[in-house]
Amino acid sequence: MHKYLKNKVAIIVFTLPALVVFSIIVFYPIIQTFYKSMFDWNGLGKGTFIFLDNYVRLLGDRLFYTSLRNGLIFAAVLVILQIGIGTFLALAVSDVTLKGRSFLRVTYFIPVVLSITVVCQLWLSIYNEELGLINKLMEQLGLSYRQHWLSSEKGAIYAIAVVNAWQYMGYHFALIFAAVKSLPEQYFEAARIDGAGKIKAHLNITIPLLYETYKFCLILAITGGLNAFANMFIMTNGGPGDATYTLTFLMYRSAFRVNEFGYGCAAAAVLVIECLLATIIINKLFGREQITY
Amino acid sequence: MKKLIKKTLIMTMALILIFSMVACSSSKNDDADKKDEITVTEGKKNEEAKKKPIKLRIYAQYADDDTKVPYDYALDALKKEMPHVELELDVQAQDDGQKIKTYAATGNLPDIFQANLDIINTFKTSNNIMVLDEYVEKLGFKEKMHPSAMNTLYTDDGHCYAFPYAGNELVLLYYNKEIFEQNGVEVPKTYDEFLQAVKVFNSKGIIPLALFAKEKWPCVALFDIFATRLEPQGILKLDRGEGKASEESYTVAAQRIVELVKAGLLPKGATNMNYDQAAALFHQGKAAMFINGQWEIEASTEALGDKVDWMYYPAYDQSTYESTKYAFSGGGGPSGYAVSPRSEYKDVAAEVAAFISLKYAECKYTMRGNPIIATKVDAPIVKPYPPMMQKLAQDIPKITSTTAFAWGLGNAKFKAAIEDNAQKLLTGFYSAEDFVKDMNKLLE
Repeated sequence: MHKYLKNKVAIIVFTLPALVVFSIIVFYPIIQTFYKSMFDWNGLGKGTFIFLDNYVRLLGDRLFYTSLRNGLIFAAVLVILQIGIGTFLALAVSDVTLKGRSFLRVTYFIPVVLSITVVCQLWLSIYNEELGLINKLMEQLGLSYRQHWLSSEKGAIYAIAVVNAWQYMGYHFALIFAAVKSLPEQYFEAARIDGAGKIKAHLNITIPLLYETYKFCLILAITGGLNAFANMFIMTNGGPGDATYTLTFLMYRSAFRVNEFGYGCAAAAVLVIECLLATIIINKLFGREQITY
Repeated sequence: MKKLIKKTLIMTMALILIFSMVACSSSKNDDADKKDEITVTEGKKNEEAKKKPIKLRIYAQYADDDTKVPYDYALDALKKEMPHVELELDVQAQDDGQKIKTYAATGNLPDIFQANLDIINTFKTSNNIMVLDEYVEKLGFKEKMHPSAMNTLYTDDGHCYAFPYAGNELVLLYYNKEIFEQNGVEVPKTYDEFLQAVKVFNSKGIIPLALFAKEKWPCVALFDIFATRLEPQGILKLDRGEGKASEESYTVAAQRIVELVKAGLLPKGATNMNYDQAAALFHQGKAAMFINGQWEIEASTEALGDKVDWMYYPAYDQSTYESTKYAFSGGGGPSGYAVSPRSEYKDVAAEVAAFISLKYAECKYTMRGNPIIATKVDAPIVKPYPPMMQKLAQDIPKITSTTAFAWGLGNAKFKAAIEDNAQKLLTGFYSAEDFVKDMNKLLE
């Protein structure tokens, strides 16, 4: 290894192209976003430098707080459903005594490969207040639990988050399942010898050993929740009113509907910082040495 | 190792800087060169263009019969009038102008593009839209305009940026005559009668009003209908910054919408209902009333025959019914076919844009049963107007005022806010007081 690290020319030759491409397509737009967030700019022309005015305005904007709150709700729903149910399914499917494991494995992953538009249209039908599956089911069961799933100010964001959680649950399931399969069998054998049941073994061995995977899943779920856009764009268009706005939606609205690209960039900059903070906090919380078996 | 990383980073940054500088400077030079070149050879090119075949890119609506038929009609006419001009169609996306704005930002604007007031206002500040005053005079376009539609030709700054084809379109309140008769409900003339009708329909399990409120403009139109009963300028006054949401007309409009929603005006989940769903309720006789533009006349007549009609908006009270019945919601604004100032053949593009607009309007008038167009038409009507359109055509000269559709509002900030807040009013969880407060805050 030391020998390879000594060959500086080789390191430069091999890393430079990737570094340049990465810098251009990732860092440059981010820097531009921060820079343009200090302008009163309509997306065309040069704009006027206004320093932090967009951020000051953002802090006084009711929509900003609605968006921020919705992002956090979305992230929380994703964490609970995607990681929680993903774990449950992964543990169930990893049980060799379970019949039809291959079928279940594929089935859980199918929503991930579907187009988000298809998924949203499907759930729009399911949530339909008159003829939707859920309300009809309630009606058939004689329950008066018919809900305004997507027209309720407080409930719409949860309803949309569930759709996203459902679609990408399979992805988290795949990650957790792969991690479970990579755990050494001898730990479980030892547990069995000590008289531990399946639940106890999972609680005391499997889940603690999956901590690196959970860290990754948590980062994906939280940043995915904070970044949410497509689901609300297709399903409610941010409505009713502004009830399902997120920071990404606010950014879109500011840039393309209100022609305030500078203000949209400020919202985007806050989103970048928010995601970065979330990642740092998760890394800090899960910051222990990697386990080696 | 640290030194190596430092060196690598410095080299990378330097490369990026050099790359950016080279790219920017070359594009600047190119732009400058191009500008000079265009100025020098422009006249020559336009002269040549009249003889040799040229291709122009056009960004236009081409989504349904209402847009495809007039475009194809105009294109056929263009082939006869200017056989040397070939149009390459780039279909307009329904994307809040993202695509056209991106074209403008990257210097790739098509030669001709459809522009509404929002696009005009954004593009004129960045020199991405050509001032067409000279061509309006040269091509005699002003003489071809209906005097009542002159507001669609010029913007507030007195310049023309697009050749219009649509006139002052209107928001209509459609109703199913059969449902009203069967349930013993008179066509409401006042708000109180309207509220009573809503209650009667509700008690009989009929949806009073179908509204595709997922699209936010019908929500604004509903608000505007009630606002115009006391303030004929409706939302237009707020858009221009000439009024406050706390004025009686707007407060009352918001209060009445809240009251109507509580009385069961709308079907469940209306704020998540698209056009197809809402129209189906009305066309299938499940809803008693429906709100849409006058372009709905064709589809409603096809679905309901002579059972459908439109009514004058319910007045504030009995005494104001006659004086306000011709104050309509809706209206037109500067919009139509615009020309890119970066077009290689500006003169030809302007000429084509004007021609396409005229023919587009001609087709709407003669073949699509729509008399609400911006320009005069000599050609005979091919498709007779449905009875509702005939009734409207008779009323057009009597119209005392119009306002604007949400998409025709000039203040983008106000437009986005009124769209969101008007939709919120329909949910029942947003009070009229909050509406007024939020709108006033924005208008400050």
